Amino acid sequence: MADRMVFDDREQFLEALRRLLREGVPGERIRVITPFCVPEVEEILPGTRSRVRFFALIGAAGGTVTGLAFTILTALSWPLVIGGKPVVSLPPFIIIAFALTILFGALSTFAGFLLLSRLPSLRGIRSEEEYGNAFVILVEEGERR
Amino acid sequence: MAFLEKNGVLPALIAAAGALMAFVALRPPPGKDGSLLLVFLFFIAVVEGCIAAAAAGTMVNARWISSVRKELLSVTPLLLLSSFLLLLLIPFLDTYPWAGRPGFWLRKDFFIGRNLAFLLLSYVTARRFASAPAGGEGAKVRAAWYLLVFVASQTLVAFDLVMSLEYPWVNALFGGYFFIEAIYGGFAVSALLCLRRGGAPPAERAHGARSDLSDLSILMFGFSIMWAGLFFAQYLTIWYGNLPEEVGFIARRLSASPMRELCVAVLFLLFIIPFPVLLSTRAKSNPFAVSAAALSILSGILVERYVFLAPVVRFSPGALAIEFACLLFLFFAVVYKSSRGGALEA
Amino acid sequence: MSTGEGARGNAEKYAKVDRDVLAAMKRPGRAYLAGLAFALLLAVVLHVLWAYQVRSGLGVVGKMHPVMWALYITNFVFWVGIAHSGTLISAVLFLFRARYRTSFNRAAEAMTVFALMVAGLFPLIHLGRSWVFYYLLPYPNQRQLWVNFRSPLVWDVFAVGTYFTVSLVFFYVGMIPDFAAAKQHVLGIRKKIYTALSLGWQGTQKEWRHYNMLYLFLAAFATPLVASVHSVVSWDFAMSIVPGWHTTIFAPYFVAGAILSGTAMVITLVVPMRKYLSLHDYITDGHFESIAKILLLTSLIVTYAYIVEFGLAWYGENIFERETFRYRLLGDYRYFTWTMLFCNSVVPLTLFARGLRRNTAYLFVVSILVNIGMWLERFVIIVTSLSHDYDPYAWGLYKPTFVCLGVDIGSFGLFFTLYLLFVKNLPVLSISEIKEHL
Repeated sequence: MADRMVFDDREQFLEALRRLLREGVPGERIRVITPFCVPEVEEILPGTRSRVRFFALIGAAGGTVTGLAFTILTALSWPLVIGGKPVVSLPPFIIIAFALTILFGALSTFAGFLLLSRLPSLRGIRSEEEYGNAFVILVEEGERR
Repeated sequence: MAFLEKNGVLPALIAAAGALMAFVALRPPPGKDGSLLLVFLFFIAVVEGCIAAAAAGTMVNARWISSVRKELLSVTPLLLLSSFLLLLLIPFLDTYPWAGRPGFWLRKDFFIGRNLAFLLLSYVTARRFASAPAGGEGAKVRAAWYLLVFVASQTLVAFDLVMSLEYPWVNALFGGYFFIEAIYGGFAVSALLCLRRGGAPPAERAHGARSDLSDLSILMFGFSIMWAGLFFAQYLTIWYGNLPEEVGFIARRLSASPMRELCVAVLFLLFIIPFPVLLSTRAKSNPFAVSAAALSILSGILVERYVFLAPVVRFSPGALAIEFACLLFLFFAVVYKSSRGGALEA
Repeated sequence: MSTGEGARGNAEKYAKVDRDVLAAMKRPGRAYLAGLAFALLLAVVLHVLWAYQVRSGLGVVGKMHPVMWALYITNFVFWVGIAHSGTLISAVLFLFRARYRTSFNRAAEAMTVFALMVAGLFPLIHLGRSWVFYYLLPYPNQRQLWVNFRSPLVWDVFAVGTYFTVSLVFFYVGMIPDFAAAKQHVLGIRKKIYTALSLGWQGTQKEWRHYNMLYLFLAAFATPLVASVHSVVSWDFAMSIVPGWHTTIFAPYFVAGAILSGTAMVITLVVPMRKYLSLHDYITDGHFESIAKILLLTSLIVTYAYIVEFGLAWYGENIFERETFRYRLLGDYRYFTWTMLFCNSVVPLTLFARGLRRNTAYLFVVSILVNIGMWLERFVIIVTSLSHDYDPYAWGLYKPTFVCLGVDIGSFGLFFTLYLLFVKNLPVLSISEIKEHL
């Protein structure tokens, strides 16, 4: 079972975290729970940069391609000249492509966040543990989470 | 370049360059050659843009401002030179289609008068801003005044010097487009200046803070999107309305080579290159990526000014080369002097 | 486990943030209930009048040739405009790392979502046959017909739809850690709801790391989106060749106007909210001063656009354009134009004075005047251009009927109903961000 330390003070919490690492506890076994984002933790417990950014990139690129393909292909499926504009009118289609870039990009980033942080988590919802404003360090015994 | 550090050398150089340009511009037959206008348009955008970038940075307490403020503001004397160059353009005014016709707004004396007034005003406000101690409330107020004059001055440059070349063509966004582009260019110059200083953040900054260079890269990146938006807003409205008196401007530029390729080049230099180059976080602090983007932006502004003028105005390559070289040299000279001066003081 | 003396002070500070912000969710007072009842009544009026209009036909609205776009489109543009500064304040200030963001962002984001809901109603009401709105959506059908992507009205569907979705995600994502905090302070059914809404957020390092990246990207996506949405709304007008509408400056001009009106609405909403919920420790006069600067800046941009518009109409050789702008200033709707100029360009100039920027009562008055001015701006642009365009034979005046006006007033009721419900049910300030910056 995990060894648990609870702090009310941010500085003491950070100090304890640094001490743990100095004592040679591997970073992967330390879990940290904070009531708000503490940027220092990221420096003490270095992890890989969040892969959420790839979801953003892929979603946005997918949105651009979808927007252009959708407008161009539907226009070509029944070529009809309206208002003297060419059937494939890129300037207006770019607007649709832009909107879909943002839409797909934002939604895929959100989906990526949920996937990578394992949310919604039933364990978290059912959990009775409430730490309020405390900073918590959980050191897990040998086994992987 | 050591002689530049002596007092009085710089004003003398500026005067000499002014005289040389006057000689080149006023050779007979005067009034036909648009090279001076092209050079003027490019440098007024960059010079006013540099000071505007400094003023905008001051207004919002940007951190990067401290490392490039002095160099950016050192270009202020060139505004005075620009006012002189505007006077050299007087014979050229006969090229404008409205010349010789009755009118209240478009008549030579008022035309030159209002542009000159705003150039001088921008010089005065820039001087006042430059002389204010950095970081104080006073500097912010003076920065705000400069920015107001800057907007008015660039708007006049756009509407008067460029748009009225194709009177009665009207494009309401032209003024806004010009001053945004000038600030865009100002940020590009700031990034280059920042690179010259090494771009490393001072040691006293909090650990993990972004460097000044990446702050400036973010600004350039943001402005590339904004530029694209403004460009698109103009193009789309004109394309969609398809009114003969409006599309003529675009048609004249897109219907024949090499102007068509230059138009595409402008789009590349100001958006399609800087945007992907600066997209990733790592590239935003990479000196090669940032300088490539900054140079692309500055050359984009130059090519665009050429595209605006070329269908209407003739250029003589020799005069163009001399005038451009003069101003480029002066620009480097003032910036070099100010950065050397900083090193000596420190 | 280990608690020192100074630590207790900090823990007390965090607890105070929880108490103060969540105090808003306590049992509502009489004034609140009265306000809610009144707003709800107006919202009911909107729906009753809409039902009446559906039953009788669009004739009861007073839209007649040549002014076929009138109050409903005015309201659509007005509410989309209001929606603008919510996400903008939140996202742009986040990207620029402005600390005062935390005092306004939640209220502004909520305002965005609700204003978009209200705005979305107006094209439907304006349609007359509201139930055929799906013609605008691209879906496969047996006639193999697709929507006309060259039409600005279809761009609107995409732009506003995207904006609503992204704003909602942005609003919700910002609240996830706050739901997790709020659930620890409530009981009963509320606890269950907040727990579900928090998605089981615990605040582990992994969650925060992904969360920060997500928030950064949402802000980065939202910023150009904000500008594009009102540009698209402006192109509904600028793509036509109606004098006074067809001009290249419309996109940035509308965006600036939208931010001006949205910022004004933020002030209108937050000043009473701060007073009623006693949030003076979190929303300071200094924060109001900063937001007043945004108001001043956007007002200057809008003024610039007015000058350019009028100036170029006079500069060019287009007699229709010139006549349209003469008509705006001196024609039948001149009082609206002058009020608009006064409210949007003159009144905000007083904010150059620092003392007035810090005076919340004064800011409140200015914000209401700006809201009026911006509403009139849309009315003036739409109605004057339509009633007085190319052909003198087709000129005509527009007068709204009680149905039109009632729906307009009712939309404010709907908006305030939603906002008042928000104030009592969701955390009105970003708890986790305030604690982070404490």
